Parts: sequence; structure tokens; C-alpha cells
Amino acid sequence: MSAGEPNPAATPTPCEDTQGDGRWMSMHNRFVSDSKDKEPDVLFVGDSLVQLMHEFGIWRQLFSPLHCLNFGVGGDATQHVLWRLSNGELDNISPKVVVLWVGTNNHGHTPEQICGGILAIIQVIKNKLPNAHTLVLSLLPRGKMPNPLRDRNAEVNELVKDTLTSLPHASFFNVDPGFVHSNGSISHQDMYDYLHLTPKGYQAVCEPLHAHIKALLGEPTDN
Amino acid sequence: MSGDDVNPAAVPQPVEDVQGDGRWLSQHSRFVQECKDAEPDVLFVGDSMVQLMHQYEVWRELFSPLHALNFGIGGDTTCNVLWRLQNGELENIRPKVVVLWVGTNNYEHTAEQVAGGILAIAELLTTRLPKAKIVVLGLLPRGERPNPLREKNAAVNAHLRSWLPRLSQAQLLDVSREFVHSDGTISTQDMFDFLHLTSAGYDSVAKPLSDLLLQILEETPEERRASLV
Ligand SMILES: [Ca+2]
Repeated sequence: MSAGEPNPAATPTPCEDTQGDGRWMSMHNRFVSDSKDKEPDVLFVGDSLVQLMHEFGIWRQLFSPLHCLNFGVGGDATQHVLWRLSNGELDNISPKVVVLWVGTNNHGHTPEQICGGILAIIQVIKNKLPNAHTLVLSLLPRGKMPNPLRDRNAEVNELVKDTLTSLPHASFFNVDPGFVHSNGSISHQDMYDYLHLTPKGYQAVCEPLHAHIKALLGEPTDN
Repeated sequence: MSGDDVNPAAVPQPVEDVQGDGRWLSQHSRFVQECKDAEPDVLFVGDSMVQLMHQYEVWRELFSPLHALNFGIGGDTTCNVLWRLQNGELENIRPKVVVLWVGTNNYEHTAEQVAGGILAIAELLTTRLPKAKIVVLGLLPRGERPNPLREKNAAVNAHLRSWLPRLSQAQLLDVSREFVHSDGTISTQDMFDFLHLTSAGYDSVAKPLSDLLLQILEETPEERRASLV
């Protein structure tokens, strides 16, 4: 209803079932029903980087003990997460911290639009869970060598980081332990396809993240 | 070459870098490089089902000890695998067994075309590696509930069952029945997104596959000895 141009990254959109097996909606429905008998202190939400974390040992090692739920869906962009959170995934739970990691799949969107999408998600979380703190994780660099998507993700990070300093209920957390080597390359030892993390890559991301979440849970007032 | 007879699933094709980070070609180039440095006895090639296996413990447990290389790329179709194998990923290596697992991403193709694409890859492998055995993994069911893609993947497997015996070196390993429960659902315990396998899901595939590979690798030297007599 805004008079300005609508931001596609901030417009709640369900994923179209182009393949015909209904997997996206199945996952969303499972998250909604999962949330009915769980009392998570921490909710992870986002794309495949969130989703895959759940499949490796690191999840059981670091995050299961903190009572975490994982609502990651591979391929999701900000508008898809926005739709999911607006359509039931937050209705039965009251986590203290929401970890948000999404945006690298927003192909065709500008850094400003992606940042707008992330802010719209933070707003939905604020509306549904007024007492929760949203921790936005930085977008990681991608591609074996320097490329426009790395620049775009870095720009998104700058915009989000700047904006979140003035929001009391959200904060930004840089999870890049230094995946880009001095020659500009990313190793497949860290990202097996130069986008998704290996167990070793997750280890480097998750250990500081785990410490940070624990601190947030211990001091639930502000960042 | 009549246009009507060309199977689109058997046409070699690189993946277009629509996202702009060049990841597909980076992975292919790495595999070509690995061929120069490694002497694998087993080569795995295919899509994300192959690729993700490499990230789980089961790879180090069962397949690394067999001297296996993993050339899986997420999203690949039969066309993409065909292109990769024709463009360097078979140079300098002479594996005794190739494990091929691809086809579930061929959305634009019929079951018959997909099976034909898989057969074309198996034929290429037979030509390039005349002594190698080929294990084709059947396509798995997908989606939480019965849906057209499950039926299509089952039809691909049925075609493979009747066509693969044409190639004496190739055989089908179909473990698709492990995953659908009696009420028709697939569990996230096995497939976390109703397509990709969890660590537990891989166990159902890896055990029979590892047994078969061990059997083939054991038989190979004897056959060679026999052929020398
Ligand atoms: Ca803040």
C-alpha cells in the first residue's frame, strides 16, 4: 500500500512449487506443527546455510543443548522467510533469541532491497515476539574467486550492520572467520561448492556464534 | 541427425552461470585438477546426492578407504554430467568402478528421456573406461507425499532395469524402497527436505553400495588374471 516502488525482497512470497513435489510447503507445514510441542529458547531461521547446519554433528554438539529449533529451507530468499514467519512459524513458540541467516539467494535484488527484506523480517519477529532479540548473521562471501555476488553480499552486510545499531531488539553478528585467503580464493575445504559450508567451515562459524548466543541468553536485556 | 531423434537428456551441456559467481565451473575445474593428482579405484559422479555424501562421516568410513573420488555437483542433470565427463573429468584416471547417481534434477525431461540420458553416460563411461564396472544408483522417491516426481523417478528406474543389461559392465542398485513408509510418506529423519538425505538416510544407501563395491573390487583382479591366461 506504499506509494513508492514495492520492494520484492520485502514482500512476503511463498515459494512456487515449480518442480511439482510440494517440498517447500511440506517443510513449512512441518515447522508449524513441530513448533506446537516444542519450547525453544533459540530459533534459527533462514536458507540452506541454516538448514544444513542441522545435519552435521555441530548442531547436536553446540545448539541442541541450548534448546534450538531449526527452520532453514534451502534456496529461500528474504521474501520466502518473510512469508513463512508471517504464516504460522512463530505462532506457537516464544524463543528468547531468533538467529536470522538469509539473503545470499536474493538473486536479482539490490543490496538495499535485500537489507529492506531483512529489516521486514526483523519487524515481523518484533510484532509476533515482542521480547525476542533477533541476531542477524552476516552473509558469507561466495564463489571460488572474487565476483559480483561477493561484493553484493559485503554491501548487504554494511547496510544491515549500520541500520541495526539503532534497533534495540536486533543486532548484527559477523560470522566470517576469514574464509577468503590472501590470494582472493575460497577453499573447498571450507565451502565444498564455494557456497555451502563443510563440517570444518561450520565449526569455524559456529563456535564464536555459540558463545555469542550464550551471552545473549545470559544477558537478555540488550546488545 | 534428425532433430526428432535427439534425446535432450543425452545432450552434453555445461551449466550456465546465471548467479554470476562461477561456482559450477570452479568445481568442474577442481575435479579435472584432482584427476591429475589422484589415482582413484572408485569414481562417484552425479548431482547433490553424490556431493552431499562426501560431507558426511559415512564417506570417510566406507568410501575414502576404497580410494574414491567424489565428482558430485548440486543441481546437475544428466546433460551436465555428460558434459563434465567429456571435458576432462575422466582424463588421467582409470577407476575400476564408477558410481553414477543423477537424474532427479532433469525437470524438463520425460522418464524415458532421463533413463536414456543415464544410459548415454554409462555408454560414454564404457567407451572411455573399457575395463571399469559401472554402478548406477536408482533415483530415490522425493516429496513428503506421493506426487508426480515420485512416479517419474520410479519410471526412470523401471526403464533402467530393462535397458542397463544391454551394457555388460553396468548394473543398477535400486534402494528406493527403503524410504517410503506404509502411509506413503517420507520422513525428515531420512530426507531432511524430502529430497536430500540425512546422515541416517545415507546409511540405507551406503551399506549395500559399499558391499557391492567391495565385491566388485575383489573380483576385478581375478578377472584380469583369468583374461591373461
Ligand atoms: Ca542493536
